[in-house]
Amino acid sequence: MEDAEFEDILDDWFIESLKTYKDLHVYQLEHPTQVLEWTSGKSVCVAGYSQPKNEILELRLPLKLLADENKSLCAERDFKVSHGGFTDGPVRCLTHIPGTRWAVTNDGLSSDLQVWDLGGEESDVIRRTGSIKGKRSASERGSRIAARPSSAPQVLHGAQISDVQLTELTSGETLYKLETDSADPLSSLQFVSDTVFLAGCCNGSVYVADTRTSAPPQLSHSPSSDESVIWWTDGAAGPHPSSRRVIRVSSSGQAVVSDLRNLGGAGCQAQLDVQTPGRCSQVDVKVSWAPTLDDCISVSGFSGVVQIYNTRLWGAEPQEARPLFEHRGHAVSSQQTDDSVPTFVTSHIWHPERPRTLLSAASDGSVHVWDWVDPDRQAGSPTP
Amino acid sequence: MLDCGMHMGYNDDRRFPDFSYITQNGRLTDFLDCVIISHFHLDHCGALPYMSEMVGYDGPIYMTHPTKAICPILLEDFRKITVDKKGETNFFTSQMIKDCMKKVIPLNLHQTVQVDDELEIKAYYAGHVLGAAMVHIKVGSESVVYTGDYNMTPDRHLGAAWIDKCRPDILISESTYATTIRDSKRCRERDFLKKVHESIERGGKVLIPVFALGRAQELCILLETFWERMNLKAPIYFSTGLTEKANHYYKLFITWTNQKIRKTFVQRNMFEFKHIKAFDRSYADNPGPMVVFATPGMLHAGQSLQIFKKWAGNEKNMVIMPGYCVQGTIGHKILNGQRKLEMEGRATLDVKLQVEYMSFSAHADAKGIMQLIRMAEPRNMLLVHGEAVKMEFLKGKIEQEFSIDCYMPANGETTTVTTNPSVPVDISLNLLKREMALGGPLPDPKKPRTMHGTLIMKENSLKLVSSEQALKELGLNEHQLRFTCHVQLQDPHSDADTLHRIYTHLKSVLKGYTIQHLPDGTVIVESIVIKVSSSAEDSNTKVLLLSWSYQDEDLGSFLSSLLKKGLPSGIC
Repeated sequence: MEDAEFEDILDDWFIESLKTYKDLHVYQLEHPTQVLEWTSGKSVCVAGYSQPKNEILELRLPLKLLADENKSLCAERDFKVSHGGFTDGPVRCLTHIPGTRWAVTNDGLSSDLQVWDLGGEESDVIRRTGSIKGKRSASERGSRIAARPSSAPQVLHGAQISDVQLTELTSGETLYKLETDSADPLSSLQFVSDTVFLAGCCNGSVYVADTRTSAPPQLSHSPSSDESVIWWTDGAAGPHPSSRRVIRVSSSGQAVVSDLRNLGGAGCQAQLDVQTPGRCSQVDVKVSWAPTLDDCISVSGFSGVVQIYNTRLWGAEPQEARPLFEHRGHAVSSQQTDDSVPTFVTSHIWHPERPRTLLSAASDGSVHVWDWVDPDRQAGSPTP
Repeated sequence: MLDCGMHMGYNDDRRFPDFSYITQNGRLTDFLDCVIISHFHLDHCGALPYMSEMVGYDGPIYMTHPTKAICPILLEDFRKITVDKKGETNFFTSQMIKDCMKKVIPLNLHQTVQVDDELEIKAYYAGHVLGAAMVHIKVGSESVVYTGDYNMTPDRHLGAAWIDKCRPDILISESTYATTIRDSKRCRERDFLKKVHESIERGGKVLIPVFALGRAQELCILLETFWERMNLKAPIYFSTGLTEKANHYYKLFITWTNQKIRKTFVQRNMFEFKHIKAFDRSYADNPGPMVVFATPGMLHAGQSLQIFKKWAGNEKNMVIMPGYCVQGTIGHKILNGQRKLEMEGRATLDVKLQVEYMSFSAHADAKGIMQLIRMAEPRNMLLVHGEAVKMEFLKGKIEQEFSIDCYMPANGETTTVTTNPSVPVDISLNLLKREMALGGPLPDPKKPRTMHGTLIMKENSLKLVSSEQALKELGLNEHQLRFTCHVQLQDPHSDADTLHRIYTHLKSVLKGYTIQHLPDGTVIVESIVIKVSSSAEDSNTKVLLLSWSYQDEDLGSFLSSLLKKGLPSGIC
């Protein structure tokens, strides 16, 4: 066999993966997705973002991945498309309403939201059931969406900080509006408890407010005064108030962690190991606290790699941080035919219970499900 | 009849297809022109000997050469397990398998085969397993393509399915995998290597029971490459029974695959491995780690079972099952979690080794079905073996993207598909020449004209001839129909001048029409004749006589309405 074919079968990443991942699954969607959202512990939603029509798919995770005992006797490694539907535009944001079979989407072109019924046992079709009007503003921007964690089907949404409102899904009634004059566009919106939410602006400022009160929100200013830099935010909604932290990551790779109760105070910071000039402006940076691994965060969107960092190693002064783990699968096995446009990871999510299982999606349509091995617990690297 | 499989989930007669759909009594030969088998998997050919020898069918059975070579081996294995191991009675015998295979006519890819003077079939490459084919079936201008099992992502040794833009009226495909998104081949291989490596590292022995004709070669190459790369020392063995069968397979294989696959995979002698050696039964007792490929694949007899019995008691060891195991075999039992097995002579075997079930078989998924439809461009889609409720989305997707109807009949349901057959008609040379002469030397796409002719359907032929010829053939006289009408017009000029004014007027209105002013005092528009005469009472009242043949009815009516309005004043 020629050397080229030899390498074709077993490349370095593939060999390395035997030790660095417990589980690894690689899929190819027909169309790339920018959204990955859990609809249950066993299923995720993905959706296309091209023009004009796209598909929304609900995918059930492979049985082999979910089986704990008898995992070895289960050969089933494929995703099952349990439900699917068609949209009339791109899908930039998709949020599942907990306790229901509803999802809410936004197309990134206006602040309006679309409401969907994900379907049940009687049908595998995802149908559009309605829409929610967002506030009109001078610049047509897409809205961020957050679903209220409790069983009340309510969504928080808005394209800029002054437009944030809480809407009741069934009646369309507006239950709450954030009182502020600022027109800063939003890059993230999420609930950190049943009524308290975080709104992260593109300029790096973060607002914390409570939907039960009309009191003005707490504002934490941007860590940087550089206006060319964009920021993304994620809050850890831990059970303990002391574990409630907020991380902000900028397009220049700066990361700042602060305590939710004291956003402006001293937290820790780092300069992430990312290629910032390579960043694609179409793709959002996604930063996420690990649901069960203390202090771990994941970052994607700068390239075809998903990085995991341990923030416990960060100090008060910004120093270069090395990632604890890098998932390079999308970059390595890119299916993109156009070499001038590199593959970017468009989104990633952690499994809510399995400590090291993540799903990641990239601009070439690939979706990976991976369960990484903590390098500190590895039994040694493979002999080359 | 497309395929004739066994339902592997049933033990009673439900495992056989229900032939009463074809006929309630008697042999099937009168009701079937032919049987086509897509590939050697038991769920596609397992009931073939039952159908041909126990229900009764003597017509042709078509399948590709590799399928014809491999089917009888699998069927015999299957029969042995079902009858000898499980003691079943209502089952086919070895002789029946032989008699059935005598009715087989082998197919080559892309070769049109005339089953009879109307029915023709053609096989296309389906990937999936060696010899698997998709089949195109045609009668007259209507056709159906049946896919069997296929895959659209190329496999290292089997390539992807391919079909030309044959535009069948119906494309029939399984829907079982239509709603899946497949995990990559690489990840499956990774899992295999990881498991083997982990066992070897802890000093365990790995048994891989294989059916000689298929997966074994691929897994060997994978392990060999891995051993080389990782500089591993543990021995890998390949049982001798496998080598003989594998050479047979190799020969079938090189004629079946295309040039590219041959280069990549087949060029080397498949059994000259650096790290893989021939097995001797005494090696099973050697200490230390090792990997052994042995037959048969379901652990139901022979060498693989012998090795399994020796290694089952040690939890450091592992058995990797790379495929489906039929009910009644040890393979099936351990894959269902059984940890205590009853062996011959009442002995029990404790299964302490690790059991791993891996699936390498390649099937088309949701994306694959769309790709195939794009390739073949069927006019209608038929999805079988799915639950209607779970297929609505795919149906909608197909209907939307391709604007074709998608049917999902349940077992026993009849689907009626309307086709648009093209009807070939012969045109008489005279008619063709005449029509061509009318329009000028070349056809003008901007001036389509209606052709007049008569379609004669006699016996099985259709002819288009000129009306005169048709009348002659029918012995009828031709009749002409002409309409005449009088239009009154107030015009002070002479008859000749009025006629001329009419001519000028018509020329300006009816541009593009042939209008002539003849010296005999008529204006002719196409076939329409116009004459002018004065009224007896008043010379300023002109009477126009219009006459036209019924073919120019529209134009004639138009002219009479036009002229009734009078002539415009500016005309001279």
